[in-house]
This record gives sequence, structure tokens and C-alpha cells, in this order.
Amino acid sequence: MNSPVVLAKSVAVTALGSDLEGLWQGLLAGRSGIAALDRFACDNYISDLGGCIAGLAATSDSLFQALLGRVAAQLGPLPRDCRLLVASTKGEVDLLQQHRGELRPELLFENLLATIAARLGLADRGMNINAACASSTVAVARGAALIASGQAEAVLVFAADVLSEFVFSGFSALQALSAQPCRPFDRQRNGLNLGEAGVALLLLSEERARREALPPLATVSGWGVANDAFHVTAPARDGRGLIRACQQALQQAELHPEQIAAVNAHGTATVYNDAMELTAFATVFNGRIPPLHGIKGSIGHCLGAAGGVEIAIGARSLREQRIPGTVGCETPEELAGDAVSSSTQVIAGDYLLCSNSGFGGINGVVILGRGAL
Amino acid sequence: MKAWLNGIGWQTPAGPGPSGSDLVQPLIGGRLEIPTRKQIFASADKRFGRLDDFSRVGLAAAAFCLRDAGAEEYQETRSIGIVAASRYGCLATDVAYLETMLVDGGKLASPNLFAYTLANSFLGEVALRFGLGGNSLVINQQDSSRLAAVHFALEELAPSGQSGMLAGICDLPGPDPADSNDKPGAVFLLLAKEPGATKCYGCLETTPTGLSLAGERVSSLAQLLERCLTQQA
Repeated sequence: MNSPVVLAKSVAVTALGSDLEGLWQGLLAGRSGIAALDRFACDNYISDLGGCIAGLAATSDSLFQALLGRVAAQLGPLPRDCRLLVASTKGEVDLLQQHRGELRPELLFENLLATIAARLGLADRGMNINAACASSTVAVARGAALIASGQAEAVLVFAADVLSEFVFSGFSALQALSAQPCRPFDRQRNGLNLGEAGVALLLLSEERARREALPPLATVSGWGVANDAFHVTAPARDGRGLIRACQQALQQAELHPEQIAAVNAHGTATVYNDAMELTAFATVFNGRIPPLHGIKGSIGHCLGAAGGVEIAIGARSLREQRIPGTVGCETPEELAGDAVSSSTQVIAGDYLLCSNSGFGGINGVVILGRGAL
Repeated sequence: MKAWLNGIGWQTPAGPGPSGSDLVQPLIGGRLEIPTRKQIFASADKRFGRLDDFSRVGLAAAAFCLRDAGAEEYQETRSIGIVAASRYGCLATDVAYLETMLVDGGKLASPNLFAYTLANSFLGEVALRFGLGGNSLVINQQDSSRLAAVHFALEELAPSGQSGMLAGICDLPGPDPADSNDKPGAVFLLLAKEPGATKCYGCLETTPTGLSLAGERVSSLAQLLERCLTQQA
């Protein structure tokens, strides 16, 4: 029998605010933190838009360190025996550009992990998980599995990626950026906007949560991870990997698809990703996709941190029984039916499914349950 | 936690392996040869020319491991995952990409190189060639034993629906050519819930005193490979 897993704390810093409350209120109000970038010159790129965190570039350390500081300041004390799982695709990549490609020790994740552990007051230096844009979802799945199997009582997932010229130029070169505010699941979508975020999620066993007197924000009821085994940068159009990841998560949670009240989708606003997701969800939910939303029209695509932010928002959505509208989605794809809306939707039920997919063909899914165990 | 060790494979300064190897173990210092397509695959491979060096080395080790296990061929996508530990990740590719980006204000940034500036991209290359549909991730952590991915796979296999995991390491040479501790290359082990029909090096198990293979304690990846090669000889 697996031990129940509780989401006990969540903190997020995004382009829509310095905390999770600001993000939630911003999402409900349909606001967008995507704006013209002034962090670097965009003259030679196909877009100049991104979701930057206000004031982050003004600090002297790397952007990542500044983000870590902002998250740590809100997190409060953590159990000392927490295992640490970091989820970042590029860590302090801005330093690589600052030093024009010079390989400095701080560029190694093992050194960055020591800094993160020290800043968060944890004994475990942990590991970084790199599963592209599904990194934090995979990290939450891993943390939940460790707790459920009794291998850990407490796991902190810290996920962060910054909006760097390194990554921005790459997505521009791949022609994956939109020159306009992105439009997830819209018929006219034409690419993504990049964002940045720092997020921390504290996972505890049910017993440990009681001992720590931390009421559950949500339970982590199921998880699944699967590879498309199809292409390195393009999703499998039939959604095969995402379908398998959803089915694993449902099986783990011992749920039927109709028990899922809502979906927080990856929704990058690229043509192929969003079509793949809708195809997969139509299969998983037998043609009746539950209310579905995506938040990348509001904060941009936060890469390895995307899933962490979305899980934090998913927990809040379940608690309040509503999902924010999908900013930028004016005319939803036909396959979405009436599942997607630009307005807040009321939901009814106890479970919400979060999904992310990324380069390398990876797909990660986490099913959250309402807070009470 | 335990799993059967059904295959081993590597591309290191000792060369490709394990076929015909009379090595003690392959994790040694020296020059790492980047394998060509013909050294890995007998038939044409359209995408191989696009791969960065990090991916070529990792793909070679994974291919040799599956070959050793008799698990190279497949009909349908398999529930096998991949976890690779890496110290430097794709840092060399990052630098190569950055050089294209810094020219002319980003106008010449290489989309092909950018696709490999994620350390897990090469796992996608492995997955699509061998139909591996399980979890796939790169982990970074301080680990002198180089067994981090093996521990990860053992922890992950038992409670998951995956039938096996390729677990190993992948690193190009570090930035300091004088570093005698730098032992670059890639090694993969095929860990499975069932013993292999073609080959099996024994049961790998996490015990209260550490990792053991066929009941004998192993404290590093080098020692684990040495045991496998001794057994094979």
C-alpha cells in the first residue's frame, strides 16, 4: 500500500508577481506579464516578447541566484531531512554568456546544488533533474514516488529557469517564437513566448504533514512519465507518449478518466504541441475533454520550471473549484470542443491533471487531489 | 530494491565495448574517440550527422549495451526508461552554440546545435532508435562513485510499471586537460525486473551496506564493470 503524498507548501515567482497569490489573482483577472524585453537586444530575433520577472536583472549575481533568493525568502523553515530535487534545464546559463563561453566552476550543476541546499537550509545537496520542459513535473513524480514507497518522508522540489538570450536566440533560430502575445490552443496560434520562474513545492508523507502541522494544499494522487520515442524536438502527432503518461497516472491514482475535473495543459502555443495535446486528451478522455486551461499566455513558457508553477496553480484551482481562463485563446481549436475558454471556468470534482512535454520526447503527468485526505 | 543486470556497454577512452574486450574495466583517462555512424550502426542513419559529440558518445554506449543484452531489436515501443548521470552535461555543445550566437548579434545562431543544448536530448535519440518509451532524464549531482544513475534506476524501477531502465553516465572530457581524475565517456547498464534471456550478469541489489552484485558488495561503477567483465571472461 502506497503512502499518501501531500503538497504542503508552494511558492512561485513569475512575471505575474512576486508570489503565488499575485500569480493566481493575475490569472483570474486575465492579465499577462508578457511584454517587450529590455534584458537584451532582440533586433535579430523573430520576437521581442517575453515574460520577465520585474527587477530580476537588477541584481549583481546571476539571474538564477536572484530567483533562488526570492523563492527562499518566502519559503520559511523546511524539515532538515528533506531530500532536494532541483529541476532546471539551463541553471546559470546567463553566466556562460557573460563570460563568453569560459567554463567556470559555477556552471556545473553540482556546485549550484550546493548553493541551493545551503540557501534553503537543507543538508541534502540533492540532484538536478533535466527532462527538458517536463523537468519539474518529472521531479514531482520522482519526489512523490520516493514518499509513496517509503523511501523519503519529505522532498523539496525547487525548479527554476531564467529568460536568457542563450535560450531566446535558440527558440528564435528554431522559428518557435511568436512575434505577438502567444495564443495557446487558439486556431491562429503561431508560436510561444518565453518566460521565467522560480518555484518550490514541499512534498510530505501524510504522517509527516500531520507532525509538521502543515495542512495539505493538495494530494499528489498519481503520476506518469513516458517518452514518445518519435523525435527529438517534435512531439508525436498522435500524442502516444502523453497518452501513456496520462494512463499511468490514472492507473496509479486508481481513477477513471471521468473523475478528472480539469486539466492544466502544457499549452505552449506552438502549432504542433497544442494539437498533439488535444489529440492525446481526446483519446484519454474518450472524446470528452474536461475543462482545460494553460497559463503560458499569461507568464510565458518557463521551461524546466513550467510544470512546477502549473502544479502550484492546479492545487489552488482544485481548492477554489475554478480554473483561470486561457489568456490568448480567442477561438479554440475544434478538437478542444468547449473545454477551453478565455474566461474563468467553474469546475466540479476532486482531481486535476497537469501535463508537460518537452524536447527529447518526454511527457510528464501529475494528478492532484483536493487537499483533504 | 533490486534488478537484474542484463547488459553493459560503453564508449570511453578504452574504446567501444564490451565486445571482444580484455580490459579490467573501461573507465580510464585518456583521449575519447567520438564514434562514427559506422562504428555504431551497420545501416544508414539519417539523423546521425546532426548529433553533437555528447549525443554520439551516449548513443554509442546505449546501443552497445542493448546489443550486449540481446535487446537491440524491437517490434513495439517498450516500457524501458533511461537515466544518465552527467557532471558536465552538454556544456561543450552550449559553448559551441554560444559561439554561433555571439556572431553578428544572434543572426547566425544555429538551430541544430541549440536542439542539443539540453542534456536530455540524446536520450530522445536513444529512445526513438530503440523504441524506449519509459522515463528519460539526465541527472546532475556530486558523486565520486558514478553510481548515482544506478541507484536512481533501482529506486524507480520497483514501484513503476517500467520493465527496465538503461542507467549510466555520459560525459565529454572536462575543461581542464591536466585533470588526471577526468575519465570521460559513456557507460550504460541495462537493469530489468526479469533476468535477460540472452545475458545476465546477476542481481543488483541495494542492501543496508550498499550496492551488491550477485551478493558481492560494489562501491563504484568501475568496480561493478570489473565484476561483469571478470564474470564474462
